[in-house]
Amino acid sequence: MTTSPYRLPLTLPRVRRAQDERALGGVAAGIAKSLDVDPTLVRLTFALLAFADGAGIAAYLGAWLALSLEDGPAPSPRRRALGVALIAVGGLLALRGFGVSDSLLWPLALGAAAVMLIRSRGGVYVVVGVVLGIAAVIAFVDRNVGQADTSSALESSAVAIALLLVLGPWAWRLALERDAERTARIRTEERAEMAARIHDSVLQTLALVQREAGDPRRVAALARRQERELRGWLYPASRAEGASLASALETAAAEVEELHGVPVELVQTGDLPLDEQLESLVLASREAMANAAEHSGAEEVAVFVDVADDDVAVFVRDRGSGFEPESLPPGAHGIAESIRGRMERAGGTVALASSREGTEVELRLRRQP
Amino acid sequence: MSRRRVVLVDDHHLFRSGVRTELGDAVDIVGEAGSVSEAVPLIRELDPDVVLLDVHLPDGGGHAVIAQVAPERPGVRFLALSVSDAAEDVIDVIRAGARGYVTKTISGAELVDAIERTAEGDAVFSPRLAGFVLDAFRSGEAAVDPELDTLTAREREVLQLIARGYRYKEIAARLHLSVKTVESHVSAVLRKLQLSSRHELTRWAAERRLI
Repeated sequence: MTTSPYRLPLTLPRVRRAQDERALGGVAAGIAKSLDVDPTLVRLTFALLAFADGAGIAAYLGAWLALSLEDGPAPSPRRRALGVALIAVGGLLALRGFGVSDSLLWPLALGAAAVMLIRSRGGVYVVVGVVLGIAAVIAFVDRNVGQADTSSALESSAVAIALLLVLGPWAWRLALERDAERTARIRTEERAEMAARIHDSVLQTLALVQREAGDPRRVAALARRQERELRGWLYPASRAEGASLASALETAAAEVEELHGVPVELVQTGDLPLDEQLESLVLASREAMANAAEHSGAEEVAVFVDVADDDVAVFVRDRGSGFEPESLPPGAHGIAESIRGRMERAGGTVALASSREGTEVELRLRRQP
Repeated sequence: MSRRRVVLVDDHHLFRSGVRTELGDAVDIVGEAGSVSEAVPLIRELDPDVVLLDVHLPDGGGHAVIAQVAPERPGVRFLALSVSDAAEDVIDVIRAGARGYVTKTISGAELVDAIERTAEGDAVFSPRLAGFVLDAFRSGEAAVDPELDTLTAREREVLQLIARGYRYKEIAARLHLSVKTVESHVSAVLRKLQLSSRHELTRWAAERRLI
């Protein structure tokens, strides 16, 4: 979209005399076409206005002079000026016909001329227009202040209704167009954001993958990370607001995966808002995942989180080489401190089962009421 | 045992050839299709043992294939395969009649095993599907039909072990059951998943205009 979204909707639709649906000069049909209303409605307006001292006739003639025929050449400037003048006369006659007193009419005419001049090419016309506009305000104030003229209220509302009848559909369509424009703009922005994101993430990863093609483990890790990132963006999880157990564990699993290059399959049921006790559980789980990824030699670590009403359990399982819990070297702080110590301080338990078919660490917390 | 006759339905050509390579000679891939409109006549014609079915297809999704084929070809079993593990996708194909659901990251050997189990009429639950079912059948909501809307303690136990990454054989050993019994528990859960009117299940199904 090249037009500025902040453009004011001042430009009137371009009116041309209609060729195909014309009854007389094609004026009514042309206006109807540009306003997107029934031509009969416009013809009726002209006909009604004709009763107001012939205003409709003057306006019609003016429009016929001023407007070019569809596909026809533009009218000469002189013809155009004459036409506009006639339309103005028609307009004034119409307002008089509605009973608008001269005290209202003259300021109105001055004001209209001012608006037309200001909106034309600019330069000296604008100055003249502004002067006319000021004159219009002065004339209006001068003639009306102090006169509580009830009939002028009636007149104004008559004019307002007539204007609404003709300009209403146009204003409505304009509003719709602006809506459509806004939607299109939002769509464009979204597309741009998506392009930027894909560039930053997917394209970068693909470039890395090409460079690291010789190292399948590294390629797999890159692909995993990219997949997780895209998923997080495309299908944002409907988790509990703010910090939650599920999202904290997701982050922990992702970190372990990236750090050790071993996929961590996380399956969770239920969720809880994160508190101090659950934070300990997350940290202990992370340590258990990291141990499995680092030491077991397994190709994958499976984690299952079961949230029940009164307790939370995390199972970290690998199909790696397994180990003898008793034969751990004294330096193996991971299990002793980071997992067991942490869980016990939080009021939880740790169960360890290891065999040649792999290891499973079970972390369990009773929920504090 | 003769090799299982398998039809592969996925709109990504690359993925199909990847699966073909990975499965190798373990199964007999008799046909491939890339859309619902291709798949339906192909499956009718070939009458395979198992259809490996992508959840997302350009002209209607995996459940549309099942809906059109299953009534006239009751012998054909469907195993859903997806990159997504969104709950809606799971419920979608399972309720349409798939015997199981596995994600596309599954290894070749596991996929062969899953096809074999599907062909024998067993249910194939990935850890993720098990986790999802446990979540959906969570206690707390009054069951309309207790038979269908709740899991037995045993079924829950089996599902929890599946979610923890155990295989049927390991589960059987742990719970002192036969593998056949474990399989029948899983099939029972699959049936409940397909027929239950539990709120969580029906809501997803309704949103997807499945019911």
